[in-house]
Amino acid sequence: MLSVEALEKSFGALQVTNQVSLQVPTGIRHAIIGPNGAGKTTLFNLLTGELRPTAGRIVLDDLDITHLTPDRRARLGLSRSFQRNNLFTGLTVRQNLAMAAIVHERRGRCFWRPLAGLSTIAERTEEIADIVGIADVLERPVRELSYGIQRQIEVGLALATAPKVLLLDEPTSGMSPEESGRIMHLITELPRELAVVIIEHDMHLVFEVADRITVLNYGKVLLDGTPEEVRSSDVVQETYLGGGLD
Amino acid sequence: MMTSERLRQLITFVTFAALVGYWSTTGYFGYELIAEIAVFAILAMSLDLVAGYTGLVSLGHGALFGFGAYMFGLFTVKLGIAPATGMAAAIVATTICALLVAMVVVRVHGIFFIMITLAIGEMGYEFFFKYRYLGGDDGLVGLPRLDLSGIGVNLSDPSVFALAMIVVTLCVFLVLAYLLRTPYGRVLTGIHENPQRMRALGFPIRAYRISAFALSGAIAGLAGTLTAQHTQFITPQLLHWTTSGEVLVMIILGGLGSLVGPIIGAAIVTLLRHELSSYTDYWGFWLGVFLIIVVVSRKDGIVGWLDYLRQLVAERRRPETAEEA
Repeated sequence: MLSVEALEKSFGALQVTNQVSLQVPTGIRHAIIGPNGAGKTTLFNLLTGELRPTAGRIVLDDLDITHLTPDRRARLGLSRSFQRNNLFTGLTVRQNLAMAAIVHERRGRCFWRPLAGLSTIAERTEEIADIVGIADVLERPVRELSYGIQRQIEVGLALATAPKVLLLDEPTSGMSPEESGRIMHLITELPRELAVVIIEHDMHLVFEVADRITVLNYGKVLLDGTPEEVRSSDVVQETYLGGGLD
Repeated sequence: MMTSERLRQLITFVTFAALVGYWSTTGYFGYELIAEIAVFAILAMSLDLVAGYTGLVSLGHGALFGFGAYMFGLFTVKLGIAPATGMAAAIVATTICALLVAMVVVRVHGIFFIMITLAIGEMGYEFFFKYRYLGGDDGLVGLPRLDLSGIGVNLSDPSVFALAMIVVTLCVFLVLAYLLRTPYGRVLTGIHENPQRMRALGFPIRAYRISAFALSGAIAGLAGTLTAQHTQFITPQLLHWTTSGEVLVMIILGGLGSLVGPIIGAAIVTLLRHELSSYTDYWGFWLGVFLIIVVVSRKDGIVGWLDYLRQLVAERRRPETAEEA
């Protein structure tokens, strides 16, 4: 489980994360919502180690990871997708997913056997392609594919390392309703030994998949509760949902 | 349809066939030229491993090359060690040197990486320029060649030496081509393409960059020991940044990140330097023009051009399949 204790981050005088605490037990789907600039992506960057917090602690399965490098955290089971597609655009879909499969199979240091001869990596690659629904485009270069499919690869890469905690940063941003439906279905189908933290603007999706919701505003936790509590909260309705939900 | 990979295999075959063909028909001058091409081809492949595949554009590879040559000189001429042992020791010493350099330089990126490798290279140049024990600016003479008479190979014969150099170049090519097909090689490519994503996936990218730089240093060191055996006379000029720059020109011209491109680039630059300079004093000017055309066309050098031609031909052959997505 992932536990965040009183996390703070400031850039000079600007405090972008203010006393944020979260508890994400195994198997939970935890959504983080809030208006633009509420500090959602900053929080993700603090969790993955791309940014260093000014204060506070991040604990993954009883291990304090606050000061570990991003790659160490990833190897410990904290994986993320990016808000903007962050792929290997010059390579094929298979080569993209194989990169994550190499981590999963712990073969990165293998310099004596050809990649093509390692069946476990090929199997993992195809397994993930099936899960995220891109098996039919495996041999295509990523840059030739539609935005929606690239978005699926983005999620596939984060998933392929078999993380304990999956952080999804707006997985459906820029997608058509049909495409986001596919992603939503994918998220609900994910195995329950995996905890998912998701930043999302699509409220329909949030209320559909989340077990728990944290509402951020100006870097602070405005509310932390079940979807019902958030839906019925006056303060959330005012500051974020604008009363237009029902 | 011919794939990109098939085309590269064909280019590689033609390149080595041309080298061997040239070797079989030429005389003394040609043998010298082939040995020089081979030395630079190996050095250029070593730079391609870091610049073309891992994304670390080093301007200090001339210094590693020269360091290897000087270590070979130190071990054989000064310490009297047998050439074979001296060669192995020189390669190990250069690898260690590259490893230490890498630990410092991989901390910075982009233009800073280029500048810091340049600065460290110049430190090396200055050191050997001043260091009298190894000849200083006069250089070092009397370097031996490997003694392979035990297996019936006489390396003091220029013809045999040139052929041996082609064989070594082929071996280096095959080893690197194999390495790049392994998971480790694929990780290097990934780090070049998108280091941020690789780190997010869990790869310790700094460790990979350091290891690639050290490996590249080992090959640059090998090239150094070979040039020392070829000319049997070395000067600090080998370490100078102009050597590094010239090797960079070779790989850009031939095709960055293609492994065979650097060999072609090394052959072209070396031939131009010797052949064109007998027709015109402005050979550097024409090389510059050539380089500008290559860079502006954005086709990744000669290998990139050939691949572009392959695609054109492929499209013309089957115009009806233009839309299949």
